[in-house]
Amino acid sequence: MIGALVIVVYVATGLLALYGLVRTVQGRHPGRDMRIAVGVVEALLVVQAAIAAFRVLGGGVTLPEQGTFLIYLVVSVCVLPIGLQFAVTEPTTRWGGAVVSVAAIGTGVAVWRLAELWAAHV
Amino acid sequence: MSESSGSPSSGSGSSGSGSSGSGSSGSGSSGSGHGPRPTSSGPGRVLIAVYAIFALSATARAGVQIATNFSEAPLAYLLSAFAGVVYILATIGLAGTGPGRRRLAWVAVGIELVGVLAVGTLTALDTADFPDDTVWSLYGRGYGFVPLVLPLIGLWWLRRTRGR
Repeated sequence: MIGALVIVVYVATGLLALYGLVRTVQGRHPGRDMRIAVGVVEALLVVQAAIAAFRVLGGGVTLPEQGTFLIYLVVSVCVLPIGLQFAVTEPTTRWGGAVVSVAAIGTGVAVWRLAELWAAHV
Repeated sequence: MSESSGSPSSGSGSSGSGSSGSGSSGSGSSGSGHGPRPTSSGPGRVLIAVYAIFALSATARAGVQIATNFSEAPLAYLLSAFAGVVYILATIGLAGTGPGRRRLAWVAVGIELVGVLAVGTLTALDTADFPDDTVWSLYGRGYGFVPLVLPLIGLWWLRRTRGR
């Protein structure tokens, strides 16, 4: 993992969570803008996961809890797309934004756990 | 009730995909219902999202713990796995429709509340029995007390959408 990227991901998931809540408060269903926002955050997560997976699996770094780390890595990438899908499948409600918020917070927590597990090896 | 009142009028061009905005069919079931409202409607979807994340994280964590060092704290890890299954069943129950799924949700969320209260109390009184943390340890303190609040909201939501 890269320290700076982790911080960028924290900020990105935080902003996304906030944005989802704002949309819910506004009473607006998540549309194209939300898809783009989720896409940007997801791209960051994929880059981070690729770097971390490469460093763990391709030798170099050995973590004390490697299995847990890899599971969290998968979770960090999967939650947002599923959350977005769940958020937009019911078209008549304002709550889609809040669903994306929950997914973003969950992703943020997963990344926080990842950083914790990563720090254990240094 | 708040979201159902706002939804029909919100078709001010913001929701691009829905071209036929006549509102004839859409949210017909929401008006001061006789029958039960789907638990997956409106804010219920947020609740399901939280449940799904807990189901995922609790099960995955328990799976790793059981696979790698089960002998270290078998009771705690089995309890984690049990909690994960309860969250999965609650998610399935809340996300589905019909009386069967609703009953499943009632039972799962009820077990969840009893579980978090029992395990929380046991761990608060005597930590020696639980050498490793579970989702429900100390009323879910390790998870921001969400495990304690979640079943209360779940039961409230089930009651609220019951109808009549």
